[in-house]
Amino acid sequence: MAQNPVFDAIVVGSGITGGLAAKELTEAGLKVLMIERGPMIEHGSGYTRETLAPWDLEFRGVGDAELYDKDYAVQRKNRHFTEFTQDHFVNDRENPYTTEGSTEFNWWRSYQLGGRSLTWGRQCYRWSDYDFDANRRDGHGTDWPIRYADLAPWYDKVEEFIGVAGMAEGLPQLPDGRFQPPMALNAVEQHTREVIGRQWPDRRLTIGRNANLTEAKPDQGRAACQYRSICARGCSYGAYFSTQSSTLPAAQKTGNLTLVTDAVVEAVEQDPATGRATGVRFINTKDGTRQRAHARIVFLNAGSFNSVGVLLRSANEANPHGLANSSGVLGTHIMDHAQTVAGIAIMPGFEKHSYFGNRPTGVVIPRFRNLDTIDGKGHTRGFSYQGGAFRAAWTAGKRNPGVGKDYKDSLREPGMWRMVLVAFADSMPRASNRITLDPTIRDSAGLPALRINFAHGAEEHAALADAKAEAAAMLTAAGGHVIMGMDTPNPGGSAIHEMGGARMGHDPRTSVLNKWSQAHDVPNLFVTDGAQMSSSACQNPSLTYMALTARACFNAVSMLKEGAI
Amino acid sequence: MAETGLARREILGGAALFAMVVGIPTAAVRWTDTADIVTDRQRAVLRDAAQRVIPRTTTPGAGEIGAHDFVILALAHGLDGTRAPAAGAALPVTLSRHQRRDGSLDYLGWLEWQLDAGTQGDYLNAPPARREAAVAAIDKAAFADAGPDLVESPWRKLKGLILTAYYTSEVGGSRELQYELVPGRWDADIPYTPGSRAWSSDWTAVEFS
Repeated sequence: MAQNPVFDAIVVGSGITGGLAAKELTEAGLKVLMIERGPMIEHGSGYTRETLAPWDLEFRGVGDAELYDKDYAVQRKNRHFTEFTQDHFVNDRENPYTTEGSTEFNWWRSYQLGGRSLTWGRQCYRWSDYDFDANRRDGHGTDWPIRYADLAPWYDKVEEFIGVAGMAEGLPQLPDGRFQPPMALNAVEQHTREVIGRQWPDRRLTIGRNANLTEAKPDQGRAACQYRSICARGCSYGAYFSTQSSTLPAAQKTGNLTLVTDAVVEAVEQDPATGRATGVRFINTKDGTRQRAHARIVFLNAGSFNSVGVLLRSANEANPHGLANSSGVLGTHIMDHAQTVAGIAIMPGFEKHSYFGNRPTGVVIPRFRNLDTIDGKGHTRGFSYQGGAFRAAWTAGKRNPGVGKDYKDSLREPGMWRMVLVAFADSMPRASNRITLDPTIRDSAGLPALRINFAHGAEEHAALADAKAEAAAMLTAAGGHVIMGMDTPNPGGSAIHEMGGARMGHDPRTSVLNKWSQAHDVPNLFVTDGAQMSSSACQNPSLTYMALTARACFNAVSMLKEGAI
Repeated sequence: MAETGLARREILGGAALFAMVVGIPTAAVRWTDTADIVTDRQRAVLRDAAQRVIPRTTTPGAGEIGAHDFVILALAHGLDGTRAPAAGAALPVTLSRHQRRDGSLDYLGWLEWQLDAGTQGDYLNAPPARREAAVAAIDKAAFADAGPDLVESPWRKLKGLILTAYYTSEVGGSRELQYELVPGRWDADIPYTPGSRAWSSDWTAVEFS
C-alpha cells in the first residue's frame, strides 16, 4: 500500500453489498481493493463462540450487563446481541453517533469483515412495482427511475448465487424468485395460513424467504442448514449467506482481490479538474496513519448511513456540502421501517403437536393494503408481518407464580403454543429525516460522528394501528387468544433497515444517484448499499440492495470497457 | 479520607475472599458499596431459597448446582436491570431500607430480611416446612395482582435470575431439559408425547416466551 497502487476499483465496506460488489467486479476481471473498517473474522475459525453452550460462558449467554452499559449501550437493545454474538457488534463508546432533538434511533452496527452479513436476519424479498411506483403514486419522495422489470434478472442472479429458501405464491406484491425448497410451516402456522386464506382471500401467510440453504451448494463449499438457528454467532457450515461464506471466497478465487481490514475510509478524493473520483483516503485504525489508494471507479458499500457519512466527509472546495451533493439532498430522506409487535396470542388446541429443530426463519404475511385499491386507514402504503408460532419455554416461568416440585415440573415440558406477529410498515421518505456530521463529537478514529434526525409520522402511526387491529383479527380467527398487541413504533433503526440518504432519481437537481446507482455529479462513483433507496417498501430490503449492486457492477464494467467513465 | 480508603480496602479484601470461596473470578465482581458485600449468611439464605424454588426431583435442585452463585454474580453486574435505581420517593419503607447509595436495591439484603421476618427471625434455622412456606409467601405476594401504582417485588427479579441460573446450567439445560446444539433437521409437525422434556436450545421459544 505504501506505493499508492492504482486499482481498477475500490469497494468501501465488506458487508452484504460490498462483498457482492467485490465478487462481481473481480469476476469481471477488475483488480479490486476492498477496504473494511473493522477487524478480520475468518470463516469458521473466527466464529469463536459458535459452538458454546450457555454454561460455557461466564454470563450464560445473557452477557455482562455492566460491560454492556459501558460499551454497548445501544447494541445491547438488539435481540441478536448476546454474549454469544457480542463480538459481531460495534463498541458504542468507541463509535458514537448523536441524535437531534427528540430523536430516538437505535443504530445497530457490525464493524468487522463481513459487516452485518454475519448478523443479518437473512430475510430475502423482492420488491414489486407497488414499491417502485409508490413515490410517483402518492407524491411522497421522488420517483424511482427504475421499475421491477429492470431488476428482475438481477434478483434471479443474486438468489441463485446466495441461495434463498422460499415458497412460490404468485403474489404480485411479493414476486416469486428462484427459490430453494421452502422450510415447512409448523402445525399452528399451517392452520393459521388455512384460516387466513379462507377468510381473507387477498391475504397469505407463507414461510419466510430466507438465505439459509435447504440444499447444499458444494460448488461454494456450503452445507445445508443444520437447523440450529444461532446464525449471528457465525456459521461454519456456510449454510447462510454471508460475505465470509459466499462472496469473499468467490472474489478471492479470481486472484483479483486485495483486502484491507482495520481501515476506515475518511473520504473519496476527487480530481478538481475532471470531477472524477481518484480514489479514497483511509485511516489505519490500529496506528492512526493515513493512506491513499487510487482507482478508476469507487463503490461505496459502507452501510447506508456510513456511505452517506463518507460523502459528507468528502466535501472539498468545489463541493463544500459534500461530494455528489449538488442537489443538496445528500443525507436527507432517510428511512427505517416502522416496526412493532402487533400481536401475540396463545394458540390452544395444538397440544398434541410439537416440532424438532430450530428453523432459522419465521412466517410472513405480505402486504395487503393499498395495492390496486386504496384501502388504508390513514395511510397510503403498506405493512407486512413477520413472526411465527412456537411452544413456550422455561422463560415463561419468570412471569408465573409458584415454587417447588409442581412448579419445576411445569417448566419441564413445552408450554402452550404462542404466535407472534411483528408489523413492518412503510417508512415515508421525508426531507426532515436526515443525517449530518456532528460538529463536535468524533469517533475513536477521529472522524466526525454522524448526527441523526428521525421521526415517524402520521402515516406510519396509522399503518401500525391498522396492523395491530388486523393482527388481532387474524390471530383470533385462527382460534388464538390475543394477550397483547402494540401500535406504537419502536425507536427508529429498530427494524435494522435504515436506508436512504443518497437517493436514486431521474433528476440531478433532486437526487444523488441515477438509475445505475451512479452519482449524477461524479461519473465513476457508485453507491449500491441502502443509501441509494428512494422509498422503503414494507419488506426487507437487503435482496434489493444486492440486485441493485449486481446491476450497477455490470453497468460500471460495461461503461469502463466502453471508455464512458 | 484515610478511613474511607481503609474501608474500601477491607471491602475489596472481603470481596476477593468471597469470590475465591465461591469460585467466581474476583475481577468479575464489582463492589461499589458496602451493600454489595454478600455475607456468608445471605449466600446461604439465597442458596436455600433457590433450592425451594427449584427443588431436587429426578435432577438436582437449583441450590445444589450453585444457581445462587450465578445470581450473586448477576446482581453484582446488574443483569436484568438489577442495578437500575429503584422507584425513588414512591418506594415503600420495606424496600427503601434496602436501597444502595446509587438508588438500586440490595436484593440479597431484602431477601434475607423478608425470609427472616417470615420465619420468626431466623430463616436458616427454621424447620424446612416453615422455610418453604416463607418462600412461597413472598412468591405469592410478588405475583399477586399488584395494581399499576405498586412497586414490583424484588422477588420477581430474584426468581427470574434463579431460573436463568438453573436452566442455563448444564444440569438444568441438558438434564432437566433437553439440549441439542446441532439438530441437523427440521421436523415441522411431530406428535407431542406427554412427559417429553422441553428443549433449552429452542432459542426462539426461550427468547420470546
